Amino acid sequence: MSVVAFERAQETGMWSERELNTIVAALQAALAPSTGREWETGTTEKGDAQFYLLGPLPEQACELCVSRIGGRYVLEDGLGRLLFEHRNLDIIALHARAAVPSTPWLMVRAITLWCAIRSAIHEKLEPMIAESEELLVQFAPQLAAFA
Amino acid sequence: MKRAKHQDVFAGQPPGKVATEARQLRKQAGDWLKLRRADAGLSQADLAARLGLKYYTFISQVENGFSRVPTEIMGAWASELGLERAAFARHLLMYYEPELHRLLFGAEKK
Repeated sequence: MSVVAFERAQETGMWSERELNTIVAALQAALAPSTGREWETGTTEKGDAQFYLLGPLPEQACELCVSRIGGRYVLEDGLGRLLFEHRNLDIIALHARAAVPSTPWLMVRAITLWCAIRSAIHEKLEPMIAESEELLVQFAPQLAAFA
Repeated sequence: MKRAKHQDVFAGQPPGKVATEARQLRKQAGDWLKLRRADAGLSQADLAARLGLKYYTFISQVENGFSRVPTEIMGAWASELGLERAAFARHLLMYYEPELHRLLFGAEKK
């Protein structure tokens, strides 16, 4: 019988490298340079670790906070609303990724980019299509004669 | 409490930036709140319990300067610290919305 070894969560103290890697990796998209987000860590007065996902400048307000209390992980938003809690950090990280506030301007940028690509394709392709249509019109009768 | 950046863990982390004014003011607000809580003889956990919060982590989040005291619980927060609600809100406004505070009340000592 094979036994899967689960790493036991630290009870107190600062984040371990593994824990930080797990959280940051889950939030990689949210932390992309174009989003302007950053992250920081801190501790409570009891020495429990906290991870803060900070919004863009100028406010840099906390959007999400992951805390570890007595081996249990707690996910809250910047208003203190409890979003999720679990002993498994991987599950917390998944919920954190899903809870990141959407950034409509990113969507706008993506749409703008898509429109630019479409317009470029049209500009390049349309003359080629027109040219091939012309060729087809010229050669179709000849091809039909051969057939 | 102590804060640390873990830039060595992930190369993607931006280099140390100077904290913005808004962030610095939030930290000052957090320090002030921490002092007022100490004056009231409460721990972060005590205050959280009195505010009906399951965990005390949000108190830490605010006192570390990463979040604001939400308007909805500002009155209760003041009461638990034994402070007058309006004065408490007015004082926090000085940190959270300094320009609005200046417009409403003029210059005031922090």
